Amino acid sequence: MKAMLRPIENNEGTRCCKFEGVADVGAKLQRAGYICSKEIATVVYLAMVTQKPILVEGPAGVGKTELAKAVANSLNRRMIRLQCYEGLDEAKALYEWEYGKQLLYTQIVKDKINEVIKDAATLTEALDRIAGEEDAFFSERFIQPRPLLQALYSEEPVVLLIDEVDKADPEFEAFLLEILSDFQISIPELGTRKAVEIPFVVLTSNNYRDISDALKRRCIHLYIDYPDQDLELKIVQLKYPEISRQLALQVVDAVRHIRKLDIKKKPSISETLDWAHSLVALQVKDLSPETMADTLNMIVKYKADMDLIRRQAGHLLK
Amino acid sequence: MVNLTLKFVAFARGSGLRISTSEVLDCLNHLALVDVLDQEQFAMTLRTNFVKTYRDQPAFDRLFRLFFHELRDADTSKHAGTLNGHIEEALAAMQQQMQPGGLPQPIRDFLLDDPLGYLQALQAGRAEQMGPGQALGGNMGGLVNRLAIMLALDNARSAMARYLSENRNSIPWEIREDLNAYFTARLRNARDLLFENQPAVGAGVQTRISQDQRLNQLSGKAFQALTPKEMQELREVIRKLAAKLKDTLNRRNAKRSRGMLDFKKTVRRSAQYYGLPMEVVYKKRIPHKSKLVVLCDVSGSVWSAARFMLNMLYSLQECFTKVRSFIFVSDLTEITAIFERYEADTAMDKVLSEADIDYQAATNYGRMLRLFQDQYLETLNKKTTVIIIGDARSNYQDPEEGILKEIREKSRRLIWLNPETKQFWYSGDSEAATYQPYCHEFRLCQNLDQLHDFIKELVL
Ligand SMILES: Nc1ncnc2c1ncn2[C@@H]1O[C@H](COP(=O)(O)OP(=O)(O)OP(=O)(O)O)[C@@H](O)[C@H]1O
Ligand SMILES: [Mg+2]
Repeated sequence: MKAMLRPIENNEGTRCCKFEGVADVGAKLQRAGYICSKEIATVVYLAMVTQKPILVEGPAGVGKTELAKAVANSLNRRMIRLQCYEGLDEAKALYEWEYGKQLLYTQIVKDKINEVIKDAATLTEALDRIAGEEDAFFSERFIQPRPLLQALYSEEPVVLLIDEVDKADPEFEAFLLEILSDFQISIPELGTRKAVEIPFVVLTSNNYRDISDALKRRCIHLYIDYPDQDLELKIVQLKYPEISRQLALQVVDAVRHIRKLDIKKKPSISETLDWAHSLVALQVKDLSPETMADTLNMIVKYKADMDLIRRQAGHLLK
Repeated sequence: MVNLTLKFVAFARGSGLRISTSEVLDCLNHLALVDVLDQEQFAMTLRTNFVKTYRDQPAFDRLFRLFFHELRDADTSKHAGTLNGHIEEALAAMQQQMQPGGLPQPIRDFLLDDPLGYLQALQAGRAEQMGPGQALGGNMGGLVNRLAIMLALDNARSAMARYLSENRNSIPWEIREDLNAYFTARLRNARDLLFENQPAVGAGVQTRISQDQRLNQLSGKAFQALTPKEMQELREVIRKLAAKLKDTLNRRNAKRSRGMLDFKKTVRRSAQYYGLPMEVVYKKRIPHKSKLVVLCDVSGSVWSAARFMLNMLYSLQECFTKVRSFIFVSDLTEITAIFERYEADTAMDKVLSEADIDYQAATNYGRMLRLFQDQYLETLNKKTTVIIIGDARSNYQDPEEGILKEIREKSRRLIWLNPETKQFWYSGDSEAATYQPYCHEFRLCQNLDQLHDFIKELVL
């Protein structure tokens, strides 16, 4: 509603940095190349307005990572990505203190230090004077910010993507919770630092491990499932506008059928897109069982899955 | 809207969904931001706040549909507006008629537009069908199963018909028509809900109810009373408990080891570099890990308790520097190697078939202690915790408590777990009274709850 009252419409040329409502999220994400359901749009909108992180779950390749990128794109924000893995620690995620640099600087300015304390009467006085210059020794200069700190330090609001958080160790999760709770962090050498702008945070999980309840409570949740027929068709047509509607429909329907089979790895949106791409490249007009058998390796990766689908190819194309 | 949402929360919680207060508050704030008249936006705002894992999503969707759609079809609420006073009056009269017991409260509320109690009764009835166990709460007004609910609904229907015909003269015709339509629709609703074919998606919530109940039953049940199937279930439970303990421990350690500079060490190392602190040393987390030595009586009934303890300890191996385990009846055999080679469940079976021990021999604690003293006493030190699990029934042979005293002195802690019911501890051939004074702790360990408490204290 509000969007309609605005005097000037946001068109693609102008910078926009906000979503004006659920419908606006859908429209803007689409312009950024991401087709989303109203459900996704609702959650994204809520996350933006309430500044709460979104925890996205869903099978591989349904566009979890892509969603964060699209949000960044459409809000004209920089995206900062933290890819999680086992053993990821604060030094890799937050900042590293550059002792080497600090030492080097200290060496170089040694003479200067001597000058400062030259006429100090007592040791205490000398120390006091050095302490007076402490800021020079412990300053941001010697900090190498990693993704999380970059996100907090950024003058412009960013989208912070914490990808596959379930791969990180539980210790790291606890630490993440602290940051996401109040968007501030205490650095022993420098004291507490607060976020300049609260970032739009997206966490993704592939359910490799259960996330702690505390972290879940901090986030709002979004489950992205395989898209319905209509949505997937739109995605295919958006990415390959040259594809005929009929072929696109055949592809989408075949993939949807294949997902229902009992196979090891279900084809995701990226596989649908790969398949559509190669069919377009091969100038296929109509998907026959033969073409399907020939191009099957685009959608299934396991031999057992392939055999199962070949046997059913006839049924899948009805 | 707030009220309705709160009612839904109560209903969903009653049906097994876990929703925290902060999540409810968040949700209410969020509802002010979206268009609540848009079905999808409204549903999604609830879902994104109340469901935090994909596993609960089907359950949520079902509860949502049940609560917001099947109970609120347009025509019932339309009637309700004009009929307000009359409905209460009719219900009061029906209450009178339906003796004995009257109209069960949940059904009465349901007919009055508060479905919560009725839905809970249905859920409870369903959980009931899935297996034995307590249905939810006791205040269902006798609606313990589907049959009882069906009968109550039928009774309500005839009471309503009677009420309408008896008051033919006192209630205007149109009102009677509307009342009839209203109650018929509501009762049909109630019946539909009752007979609704359980769609697969509903399974989540129900199995969760019965699983939680099941767990309560199992973790309080004495180890030796478990059936083989229950033992299998319990293994799974132990796996989860162990994982949870590890998580807790890791989180705690993470807090402790937050990038502190080890000043002393850094200065000491800097001596190599003309006083420049080239190598910066951080304080390591304080590993308060201990070494465990476990002695398990595997005769008869004690084994069932011992195996669960071993299972749990080895699932938590990382929390200790070393776990050495022994089993005994009369002889003593070390089984550490088996547990190091195989995963806990397999190891357990191997212990029984491969360990070199005579299970028929008479249990002899004194002999066991002597054997331990000969071969292993040296290995104990002030970092070792010794755990003995057994009923201390030693067939009236020399208990050798002196050796136990030595063990206590050489180790950090000596803990005895007794799986036998407390009343029997000091009777017959039990040496519990003899051994108890030498142990730092002498505790009852009969079921998973007690075992879990013990192990929690041990690792945290
Ligand atoms: N809704 C969508 N609109 C447009 N493109 C999409 C959409 N969903 C997925 N895609 C496409 O699918 C590809 C895979 O998506 P993405 O890498 O985000 O998946 P993911 O869920 O992060 O997978 P993983 O779990 O493996 O990390 C993207 O490159 C994108 O092109
Ligand atoms: Mg991804």
